[in-house]
Amino acid sequence: MKLTLSLALLVIFTSCTGNTQRKQLTLAVVSGVEGEALKQAAADYEKQTGVHVSVAEFPYTNLFEKELIDLKARTAAYDLIMLDDPWFPRFAHEQVLTDLTPLLQKRGKSGPDSDFVETSLALCRHPYKSGSLYALPYVGNSQLFFYRKDLFEKYLMKPPATWDDVLEAAKTIQEKETTGANGGQVYGYVERAAQGNAAVADFMPIFWAFGGEMFDASGKPAVNSPQGIAALQFMIDLGKYSPPGYASFNADDVGAHLLQGTAAMSINWPAWISSFSDQTKSKVIGKMEFTTLPGAEKPGQAEIGNWLIAIPRDSHNADAAVDFLLWATSAEQMKRSAQRGNPPTRKSLFQDPELVAKYPAYPAQLRSLESSRPRPRTPYWNEIENAFGIFLSKANSGDLTPAEAMNQANAEIEKILQRAQ
Amino acid sequence: MQKSRRFFSAPNKRELLLPALFLAPALAVLLALSIYPLIYSITISLQQETAAGVTWGLGNFARLFSDNFFLTALGHTFIYAVAALVCEFLLGLGLALLLNNQIRGRGIFRASLLIPMMLPAVVVGVVWRLMLNPNFGAINGTLKQFGINTESLTWTASPKLAMLSVIAVDVWQWTPFVFLVLLAGLQAIPQEPYEAALIDGSSRWQTFWHVTLPLLKPSILIVLLLRTMDLLRVFDQIFILTEGGPGFATETISLYIYRTAFRFFDFGYAAAMSFVLLALTNVISAVYIKFLQAKETI
Repeated sequence: MKLTLSLALLVIFTSCTGNTQRKQLTLAVVSGVEGEALKQAAADYEKQTGVHVSVAEFPYTNLFEKELIDLKARTAAYDLIMLDDPWFPRFAHEQVLTDLTPLLQKRGKSGPDSDFVETSLALCRHPYKSGSLYALPYVGNSQLFFYRKDLFEKYLMKPPATWDDVLEAAKTIQEKETTGANGGQVYGYVERAAQGNAAVADFMPIFWAFGGEMFDASGKPAVNSPQGIAALQFMIDLGKYSPPGYASFNADDVGAHLLQGTAAMSINWPAWISSFSDQTKSKVIGKMEFTTLPGAEKPGQAEIGNWLIAIPRDSHNADAAVDFLLWATSAEQMKRSAQRGNPPTRKSLFQDPELVAKYPAYPAQLRSLESSRPRPRTPYWNEIENAFGIFLSKANSGDLTPAEAMNQANAEIEKILQRAQ
Repeated sequence: MQKSRRFFSAPNKRELLLPALFLAPALAVLLALSIYPLIYSITISLQQETAAGVTWGLGNFARLFSDNFFLTALGHTFIYAVAALVCEFLLGLGLALLLNNQIRGRGIFRASLLIPMMLPAVVVGVVWRLMLNPNFGAINGTLKQFGINTESLTWTASPKLAMLSVIAVDVWQWTPFVFLVLLAGLQAIPQEPYEAALIDGSSRWQTFWHVTLPLLKPSILIVLLLRTMDLLRVFDQIFILTEGGPGFATETISLYIYRTAFRFFDFGYAAAMSFVLLALTNVISAVYIKFLQAKETI
């Protein structure tokens, strides 16, 4: 009994000390293409430097809670974490991340190099754009406007520059294109308005283009402004050319309609681009075109959606972690990540001839990224997005009028902010 | 008897040690996994985090009454539970009565009826989500074959049909359980009361109403109790089918608690809501149990 106990203690003890003796890093990544690239980079790093990098992989829906619970409990379980950019203000607000500037200065750098796209780097600072640096951008997604080039040419239409063009084109295509790829009708557009992230992500570019702002100059919610209500009315008007049931669509429903050739336009993320040339999935090979978002009162702006990498404040290996972070986000390594399917966050790579040959949409992606906007930077974004998404979804399913939806959303957002005071 | 008296009157340390040792792991697990979290959740339900720091009090419970989302979710939970319970009970009772008879192929019917119950809720959710898909799903596909216009039948995407859809899935999955318990109850009823009823010349309806139903009462109350508790905390199928949507139309308390805790990181408020759900479940269970005991003494 005593023997086994002491043996067990010995094992625990040695395994603990082993961590500090051998260099080891633990990485929390999202499962899917973004995390996969970082996982492979970790394996390369281990081969090059001998630093063992173990990877903990979580599905997107669980990653946020796993990381925040762990960081708040100060377990120091992770040395590096991947963050979706809307989560960043919450983590920074909770003060659980390492300020990177002193670590960069130790290595003779005054800050991150100027090759990073400004809009991506701005996300890594708290407060936004001007504050301290707590992360580096790894995957540079921003929304793009997807449309069927062949149908636009067939009906002699120019690529849509404004949302009015989009509505007009959706109408034309839906009325004239009565025999689609699988014999059925082609919907002019496909929106997604499932409550939560989906509805909000699809709405924000329209909202911004119509001149809407979620918060006014004094920080009070203002989604029920005339511009906001007009934008929601437009989303519903465009919904008439969307497949029925879009009020519960998520990204995969939008992707499925585009791949099947049953819808002609949508807002979507660059991760879908490669699937359009996949013969096993796509009925629209060579027919899709990708461009920046249409405008209205204001020029079109995409929503940015970057993956960032940060170092938890309680990591015992911050120095080793920052070495890995700088290595993984270097131009050379990020190119490999790009080759594995992730849009980079470096200007030089968006212009890299080899990459542009492989990903012809890169110039459009860079334009979209450089002119993109982040979701409002607030630690309470998850809660606000949830409430806002519910009312957007309700308006799109016909439960509420646009004005009712926006007034109620505004009241709920105000409540959330008041509670946080 | 003698043994237990000795156990209490003359506690022999050696004899106590062994049972204590056997009990220790179970007690430790209970303490760590049930009692400690319960106490912890009571304490956090009394805490509110604000910019100024943590304040103690009943703020989280007070907030419940002005929270439209919570009140709506509570309403949804009750609609869901009552509708599903009534359907499951009536269908389950009907099936149990039917298959209690000597009909051909009874074994096959019984076995196949149990399949939905054996599937994990997540699998049921995914399968039904595919079947209910308005554009590619099997249900609208079949209806189209019969020439029915499915344009407005968007099931889980429609605020009007979404609740109906999630209730239907629950009825599909859990009617077999009701059936199984009631069938067992029916088979435990002896033949004598039926023979007596036959001699007294009672009709089939009278036999059912005055013989079968009273004797089946214990099984009925158990199955209602178990289903009610399950329905009030429903989470997984709805999470997979609609995630509470469209536009909150199918959000139940459990989903809202999950969101509050793991999306908004407001554990105090989530704990407060959990206690309200626990209290409601307890009250309803107490009513059932009281009913059960009262009937048994007659």
